[in-house]
Amino acid sequence: MTFLRSEENGPRDSSVLAFLKSNFGFVPNVFRDQMLRSDIVQAEANLIDSVLLKQGALTRFQKECILLVVSAANSNTYSVALLGQTLEILGISREQSDQIAVDHQGSTLSEADKAILEATKKLAESPIAFSEEDIKSLRRQGFSEEQILECILITGLANFLNTVQTGLGALPDFPPRIVFPLKKEVNLSLESGRPTIERALDKDFLSEDPDTEIVARVQGGDTDAFEELVRKHGRRIYRSLVGILGSADEAEDAMQDVFMKAFQHIRDFERRSKFSTWLVRIAINTAIQRVRGRKEIDSLEEEDGEFRPRNIQAWQDDPEQCCSKEEMRRLIEKEIIKLPMKYRLVLMLRDVEELSTAEAANALGLGVPAVKARLVRGRLMLREALVPYFSKESTGVTA
Amino acid sequence: MIRCDEFITELGSLLDDEVAVEIRQQLELHLAHCRSCQVLYDSTRKTLRIVTESGSFEYPEPIAEPLVERIMSRIRSSCDTDQSPTE
Repeated sequence: MTFLRSEENGPRDSSVLAFLKSNFGFVPNVFRDQMLRSDIVQAEANLIDSVLLKQGALTRFQKECILLVVSAANSNTYSVALLGQTLEILGISREQSDQIAVDHQGSTLSEADKAILEATKKLAESPIAFSEEDIKSLRRQGFSEEQILECILITGLANFLNTVQTGLGALPDFPPRIVFPLKKEVNLSLESGRPTIERALDKDFLSEDPDTEIVARVQGGDTDAFEELVRKHGRRIYRSLVGILGSADEAEDAMQDVFMKAFQHIRDFERRSKFSTWLVRIAINTAIQRVRGRKEIDSLEEEDGEFRPRNIQAWQDDPEQCCSKEEMRRLIEKEIIKLPMKYRLVLMLRDVEELSTAEAANALGLGVPAVKARLVRGRLMLREALVPYFSKESTGVTA
Repeated sequence: MIRCDEFITELGSLLDDEVAVEIRQQLELHLAHCRSCQVLYDSTRKTLRIVTESGSFEYPEPIAEPLVERIMSRIRSSCDTDQSPTE
């Protein structure tokens, strides 16, 4: 959704979208909304590749922090949410990235990193006050000419992307944790009835969470209200747990822990995402902790050699017709549970729970490429296991 | 033309419709000529469809109610001992 008419958004299937997807794990709306001119999006993608993604004088982490601080200085809720997510994939906790966005001086960054962020913030916030003295001070901190140049280019890139996002009204890709208050000039547009990003945010992530009222009651001390949340979300939580843990008994046990943790921490829940999303994340973390407590920890960390499908027999046109729905369900569960844990985790999150690649990467603490590699392997392994049931020569399902 | 192992590496992105146009064209060209990869692509696509539609890992009715009761009883007893939910 964008301020521009969506039917004019240009071609959907484009190599530039694939490039963005491969680098971000998805296509951020700020680019999707410019596809009326995919040639320009391509040029932006090339710039991002050169300035941000390719190895330069600054580290990727320093560059992402500069983007974050400039976006926060511009009160750009969209970009701060996107960068928080990116930093999390790079191994930086949400608490750390929130601290850097709101007050980098109070963060645990090195003095040199704080200095470069201070300069970048000044350049973005009050360019009129920026002078050669600021550059000299970066040199004194040990930054090279090339590093300073990259810092300035990334500040410019962040300003550009922030302006494009605000102008297009691109909706957030992730529920934001920090929502900046409206600036005066944006409020003027509110009076004219033009939608603003904060309005859209409010609609999508805040007031539309169907659990807002019940959660507020629990936060206010109404323990009985929590029972409604357990009933409502039990099914989804149980599914995630049993799929990851592979045992109904253990899933029941883990489910008690999940809801216990959710109850104990419900006052920390700030409605930056839907309650259900927050709860699923607790469930995934709880399940992963249990998995890590088992011997399967080794299989989670090690990378295997190349996997080659062996059984290449053509499948029936309609394998769903081979058996009843119940038989099919049992067969799929049995075969998913047999997959090695690291492939099962990714397959459960992506194909059963239908999280995006970036969300699954985030939940598992992996990079997007690792998630993709494990997912294709998991799917191929599952396919291989199903060949005897669904190939043209098979005799049927007896799961 | 790309090889079968390169096709397999890209298979996941192809199934998720996440490949660049030029790569897609190469993959399709490979598919048109390679019977094994055609079978692999078709059967993996069907695997994915079955997984999504199978309704796997459902929450069995008989355990739901006792489980809710156990969870709430743990929570209520924790409230009797501490000041949960925590401030």
